Amino acid sequence: MKNSDILKVENVKKEFKNNLVLKGIDAEVKPGQVIALIGPSGAGKSTFLRCLNMLGKPTSGAVYFDGQDLMKLKDKQLDSLRTKMGMVFQSFNLFNNMTVLDNVKVAPIKVKKMADAKATEIAHQLLKQVGLDNKATVYPSSLSGGQAQRVAIARALAMHPEVMLFDEPTSALDPEKVGEVLSVMQDLAQQGMTMLVVTHEMDFAKNVANQIWFMDDGQIVEKNEPEAFFNHPKTDRAKDFLSKVI
Amino acid sequence: MKGKVVKLLMVFIMTFSIFTGFMNKNTYTQVNASASDSYLSNIKKKGTIVMGTAPDYPPYEFTKNEGGQAKILGADIELAKQIAKNMGVKLKIKSMSFDSLLVALQTGKVDMVIAGLTKTPERAKSVDFTIPYYNGGQSLLVNSNDNSIKSYKDLNNQSVGVQTGSTQYNLVKQQVKNASLKGMESVNDLVLALKTNKVKAVAVESATGEAYASNTPGIKAIDAKFNTAKAQNVVAFHKGATSLVNAANKTIKAANASQEFEKKFIPEASKQMGTSAKKQKISVWQQMYNYKDYFIKGTEYTILISIIGTILGLLLGILLALMRLSKNKLFHAIAVAYIEFIRGTPLMVQIMFVYFGLGTIVNVPALTSGIIAVFINSGAYVAEIIRSGIESIDDGQSEAARSLGFSSHQTMQIVVLPQAIKNILPALGNEFVSLIKESSIVSIIGVTDLIYQLRIVQADTYQGVVPIFIVMVIYFILTFGISRLLGLLEGRLKHEE
Ligand SMILES: Nc1ncnc2c1ncn2[C@@H]1O[C@H](COP(=O)(O)OP(=O)(O)O)[C@@H](O)[C@H]1O
Ligand SMILES: [Mg+2]
Repeated sequence: MKNSDILKVENVKKEFKNNLVLKGIDAEVKPGQVIALIGPSGAGKSTFLRCLNMLGKPTSGAVYFDGQDLMKLKDKQLDSLRTKMGMVFQSFNLFNNMTVLDNVKVAPIKVKKMADAKATEIAHQLLKQVGLDNKATVYPSSLSGGQAQRVAIARALAMHPEVMLFDEPTSALDPEKVGEVLSVMQDLAQQGMTMLVVTHEMDFAKNVANQIWFMDDGQIVEKNEPEAFFNHPKTDRAKDFLSKVI
Repeated sequence: MKGKVVKLLMVFIMTFSIFTGFMNKNTYTQVNASASDSYLSNIKKKGTIVMGTAPDYPPYEFTKNEGGQAKILGADIELAKQIAKNMGVKLKIKSMSFDSLLVALQTGKVDMVIAGLTKTPERAKSVDFTIPYYNGGQSLLVNSNDNSIKSYKDLNNQSVGVQTGSTQYNLVKQQVKNASLKGMESVNDLVLALKTNKVKAVAVESATGEAYASNTPGIKAIDAKFNTAKAQNVVAFHKGATSLVNAANKTIKAANASQEFEKKFIPEASKQMGTSAKKQKISVWQQMYNYKDYFIKGTEYTILISIIGTILGLLLGILLALMRLSKNKLFHAIAVAYIEFIRGTPLMVQIMFVYFGLGTIVNVPALTSGIIAVFINSGAYVAEIIRSGIESIDDGQSEAARSLGFSSHQTMQIVVLPQAIKNILPALGNEFVSLIKESSIVSIIGVTDLIYQLRIVQADTYQGVVPIFIVMVIYFILTFGISRLLGLLEGRLKHEE
């Protein structure tokens, strides 16, 4: 089982009111892979990511997670499926009504029914890991963007997910705060976490990812090794895109 | 889009037809009952006859402060007592605005109406009348120093005050050329309009005119000399209640034979009438102080209605908001239809609908009707407050919660509502404050709130402006005080963050 796909996507299409946003996507992710999803804005990257954990259900096609067909699951089963896929958003989305510590421990307690003491211990440990245990008692409104995003990562990790989905985690940050978030992500990748990262940070894609998926106009146009993708892109569209961003 | 509108309309029509279906059935049974005419026997069975009147029409009917109690007195009341006595039943008096009286009779809220009411062919279409018990003349109230007006003929092109729905209204309309009619509900307001030169004259029935003229400094009553037969004051009963009309006619015939109404009832009533501060030789404020219990009682009712209205409105509002946000299309449609309908109609109409409309199905007392209407109304507004409070929370908050495995229920409860509540609470406070003000409209169905008490004090003391001022100050203290209090609470909530 070890080398089988953790995620597998077959001919996934997504339509919003007669607007076909995903036009049939096939892809698979192996455990431990770090995949960088890049492409122009409006290509459908966020929509695709949201199809993976069923925050937005595909219009047609199939998504398999650990061999399980997610399209066939009921709402309640989907709730518990999502605990296995952590998600980090461009706008952090920390719960404004809770302290940093509560943000991290609330899901283990409410969803996994973990004891408060155990959840608190895990939360402190994760906050240490992202370098923010000293902020445990403050509310999100007093954090900088970089700090908020690191807390958001700790919050997702608290559920012990098998896969982490990142949707432009550094796009809303001041340039000098980007590094602290990327380094937390790099650590995570080194620990063997399976990751899908939508990003415009080409250095991160080059150095940390082991696969690049280039998306344009609702399709994955090119899948390639980072080295090859950045030096000899196979498709004209990727060439065109790279010439603009680099 | 179109489909949605059509669906909404369907829900509307269905709800409405259920309602009207009920009501039709009800009137139908009433018509049946009248054919066999069991009205009199029903009242004898009940042991009481309920009389409707608008007690701001001295000397026919007015309220008087007797030992802190507001008592309804007057010549009409004396007549009513005799009618009740001869039927062998007790008399119960319900007071409301003059305009509402005949509707109350038609909808069975009252059994008879005696209110200085005169017989007109239009009114005879909807209710049945007794023989006249009094033939009153018509007067004009004018300012004492105004000698330009000798009769209705001098009112051409002038503005004239009349009670809405009254005989005088029609007389002025038909006989005075180009008069601009200022219709108001109470004679007090009309007298006030006269004194402040908003109208040139007020047309009223003679006995009432004399009463006001003798108690209000600066105005006098003159004969209107309308081109009409003398107005005939009559008692009104439900259409078809012939047995009651006959019973009352017997009493009236006997009274007419001895001219009891003009020789006994009116003079006695005139003696009991409240008198102005000037006549009592006390200051206006002293006089107002004597009526403090009225203002206190009115304030209590106003607060009671607002508090219960807000609490029930909150519960209803939560329910409606949940329905509106729910995925169930039927619930959603019902909630939307309800909210839009209630917000699209005036509270006043809703109050009348609850009291008179629903009143034909089940008998609801005025206070309860008032509270029901207020909370039905407030529920719609609260629902919108809650909905917009919830929708003001960024979608990212619930997305993040869902991505961690929270169910939609948990997301609402743990993440969205605790944040929304901070927007909702201040808005709810505002709603409570505005209910205090808006609930003033319940006085039209006779709920004894501040406005109602204001009317009584005005009628009783012949003071037009001062009671209004006092009530205004009371409303302001209430709303300002409560706003401040809520502001403090809000501050504390923010502090906890
Ligand atoms: N909820 C939605 N309703 C309608 N259209 C949407 C919605 N979400 C995304 N889209 C559309 O789908 C397309 C792809 O959007 P998105 O997945 O956000 O692109 P990306 O993340 O690559 O920038 C855009 O044209 C966007 O307008
Ligand atoms: Mg995006």
